[in-house]
Amino acid sequence: MTTNGGFEPVFCTVVPPHVLDKLARNDDPALSGPARRTLMRDSELRGRRRVTTEFALAAAPTAKAPSDQPLRSIYDAEHGTALPGTKVRGEGEDPGQDATVNRAYAGLGATFDLFLKAYARHSIDGDGLPLDATVHYDENYNNAFWNGEQMVFGDGDGEIFLDFTIPIDVIGHELSHGVTQYTANLTYYGQPGALNESMSDVFGALIKQYTLGQTAAEADWLIGAGLLAPSVTGKALRSMKEPGTAYDDDVLGKDPQPATMDDYVRTGRDNGGVHINSGIPNHAFYLAATALGGHAWEKAGQIWYDVLTGGELSDRAMFTDFAKLTVKAARERFGDGGEELQAVSKAWEQVGVRIL
Amino acid sequence: MRIQVRRTGGFAGIERHAEVDTSGRPDAQEWHALAESALASGRGTPPIGVPDGFSYQITVDDRTVYCADPRLTDEQRKLISRVLKEGA
Repeated sequence: MTTNGGFEPVFCTVVPPHVLDKLARNDDPALSGPARRTLMRDSELRGRRRVTTEFALAAAPTAKAPSDQPLRSIYDAEHGTALPGTKVRGEGEDPGQDATVNRAYAGLGATFDLFLKAYARHSIDGDGLPLDATVHYDENYNNAFWNGEQMVFGDGDGEIFLDFTIPIDVIGHELSHGVTQYTANLTYYGQPGALNESMSDVFGALIKQYTLGQTAAEADWLIGAGLLAPSVTGKALRSMKEPGTAYDDDVLGKDPQPATMDDYVRTGRDNGGVHINSGIPNHAFYLAATALGGHAWEKAGQIWYDVLTGGELSDRAMFTDFAKLTVKAARERFGDGGEELQAVSKAWEQVGVRIL
Repeated sequence: MRIQVRRTGGFAGIERHAEVDTSGRPDAQEWHALAESALASGRGTPPIGVPDGFSYQITVDDRTVYCADPRLTDEQRKLISRVLKEGA
């Protein structure tokens, strides 16, 4: 067994399909997760629907066709690290006393709503996958992550970070990692990793804007607003509008995000700077969305979604590959010579990513 | 024994580093045992972790291993949290 999350291509290529099939049904997500992803990727070559359906059915025996309703489960880790923990709220159950549980439940619902209503996508796999989240993970845990199967949220230490379920865009961010995993499956390292991160920030921000009914001009374009403890000098963790300006604090340091390729950061840390250089595609999205105006999920969001799910985006895509595909998608969906094509092209030009 | 922990990644992408020098500490034996188990189950190269998961680099004197959330052993988790909490 590996000690990482199982995102190892090596594991994927040497294991025969029948073994993968068996592993995919294993109770231990450390075994079943990578195997399922491998099967998913393999099956994409042959048409992925069969495997997707099979596993969605295995997880939810009652679902026959993807429902327009989410299937949410919230678990409580009770400050331990065993996943998923104790189930504390299922779909359709009334809110309880725990605000963290209620926020997670509502956030999953909001994410499901945006993908369904704006993009006709049924859950993160497009086939009604149940949405699971664990809250109160570990003690004073300053993080939230997607483990390949579910979302996990820490309570924060109260000194630097508050509860990670507070910003709805953080919940949307984690679930969007799931969408990326089931679609382009961008490798979580270097530029493809920064694109993976940026997808999660883009759709996390759109989920917040959709929930609040905001236009691109009204939105704050912040990721993680409300997450920093009151003593920290900063407004959020990232700013899509002005990357590099979200915080500047004695303890946290300064927001390291670049807005353009001129300030691209070369580093081996943070999986090759996935949370740093994501500022560049984030800012390109902001520029395109604000140039187009109105609700950002309708035009810029649609174009980004088309690229993420269209099948042409490689799992090793670089910024320029992604940018070129957005230009193509803008043309295909909204027409040649339209304002959408112009806005998208100009946005990439402004951040210094080549599209020619 | 000098034990260093570097944590990178995470949703915030903010790095933390701390170290503990166990020489002269009354609980040195306990630290050594914990460090040895954490090293034994670590990897020689950094794993590509799960999206937004923390990645850790544990260095004990001149030996370095890597591990990543959520797949840490109990000893690794305990060592990491103690060093980040009590270390300088």
